[in-house]
Amino acid sequence: MSFRGSVPSDAARRRFNEMVLPHLDDAYGLARWLTGNQTDAEDVVQDSCMRALASLETAIVERPRAWVLTIVRNTAFSWLAKNRPKAVVLTDDPQLLDAAAARRDSAPDPEEALIAAADEAALESAIQALPHLYREVIVMRDINGMSYREIAAAIGAPQGTVMSRLARGRARLVDKLGSRA
Amino acid sequence: MTERHSDDLKLLLHAALDGELDAAGAMDVEGRLSADPALAAEYARLIALRDAIRTRLPRERAPDALRARVVAMAQTPSQIKPTTPRHPWLLIERYRPLAASLVLGVALGAGAYQLFERPSADDDAQRALVAGFIRGRLSGQTVDIATSDRHTVKPWFSGKIAEATTVVDLKTDGFPLVGGRVDVVGETPVPTLIYQRREHQIALTEMPASSATVPSSKPRRETRDGYSILEWTEGGRVYAAVSDLPPAELDAFGAAFRRAAAAEREDTPKP
Repeated sequence: MSFRGSVPSDAARRRFNEMVLPHLDDAYGLARWLTGNQTDAEDVVQDSCMRALASLETAIVERPRAWVLTIVRNTAFSWLAKNRPKAVVLTDDPQLLDAAAARRDSAPDPEEALIAAADEAALESAIQALPHLYREVIVMRDINGMSYREIAAAIGAPQGTVMSRLARGRARLVDKLGSRA
Repeated sequence: MTERHSDDLKLLLHAALDGELDAAGAMDVEGRLSADPALAAEYARLIALRDAIRTRLPRERAPDALRARVVAMAQTPSQIKPTTPRHPWLLIERYRPLAASLVLGVALGAGAYQLFERPSADDDAQRALVAGFIRGRLSGQTVDIATSDRHTVKPWFSGKIAEATTVVDLKTDGFPLVGGRVDVVGETPVPTLIYQRREHQIALTEMPASSATVPSSKPRRETRDGYSILEWTEGGRVYAAVSDLPPAELDAFGAAFRRAAAAEREDTPKP
């Protein structure tokens, strides 16, 4: 993870303080969820910040948080592709939703109670088991509290895609957490 | 049940859950939910999931060491070499003096700074308030009294601060009150209210203006150390809101606070 760049200008450093620093928690949170551990997340965030600083010489940024998270997710995906090639599953397959939904039909109410009772470890492992493309939208929406619009800007996809990935990701979580013995 | 529900309806359910529907859309979903128990059960599961995630997987904070490295990155251009060391501890080593001086700077605050540069009173106050905001976020202890009830905060302050403090309820504006604390600017204890917006907080501090006859001024927004500060003067009092919110939302907070404070002044009979 090395990044080559020249010395940033005063303007870039000022913009960095204004646009990147306030979103460091969100950046770290997303990196942690995507890489699955703290050490790798710190590397990814640090690398992302170097890239952000370098591109602030010229970039025009309208939504700083979405912009920062775009850099973080791209850096995280490159990092995963290089270091954990087997772990990256970028599935976006509608069939999976229907399969999960069909299984849900049999048992309605006990599932809700099971989901509500899911502890931190169960939630964590269920979310970590999701494909990255579903995981990132759930983290951005349910943990970072971002709007559909902001998430769409961060992942560079239409809002409809955000909605369908959220729906699929959540369907899997409901399925997994609601069927624990 | 699910086969009967179109994919569009499923997406609508998620949009309703996320508060992304307008009033008409929300009413439509509510109607469908009350007419369709299976759909309502699915919605209940989604709510259970969302609530479980929210309560048990809180938003993470970047580790302090990482924050110090990133802050140093932007403050010291001469120290950034073309390649970043692969190992974080090498970088800590390199930036240790800088991180230390940064912490010292925040800890000493306005007092020591004044010895060297003698900035304006405004600048001093802002520096102290931003430092207070950062300290609160770092320690996780942002309030001395935690309450969403303004009628609890106000008397709590009156035991500690000489002047009456303006405390307004902004829950309906989407900024619930979290509590209050006493900050110190220079040598003066000042009341600070903490309001919440999603995972962000707004620290609103009220201070006496340099004189009681200072004319009221419209909110002015500045940025310091990456945090937004919104400042205005009203009735001889200076109000400063510090937050990590996006600037537009802090402006909305300022507008809501001033509106509610004006309404309260009208309700209170003059002594």
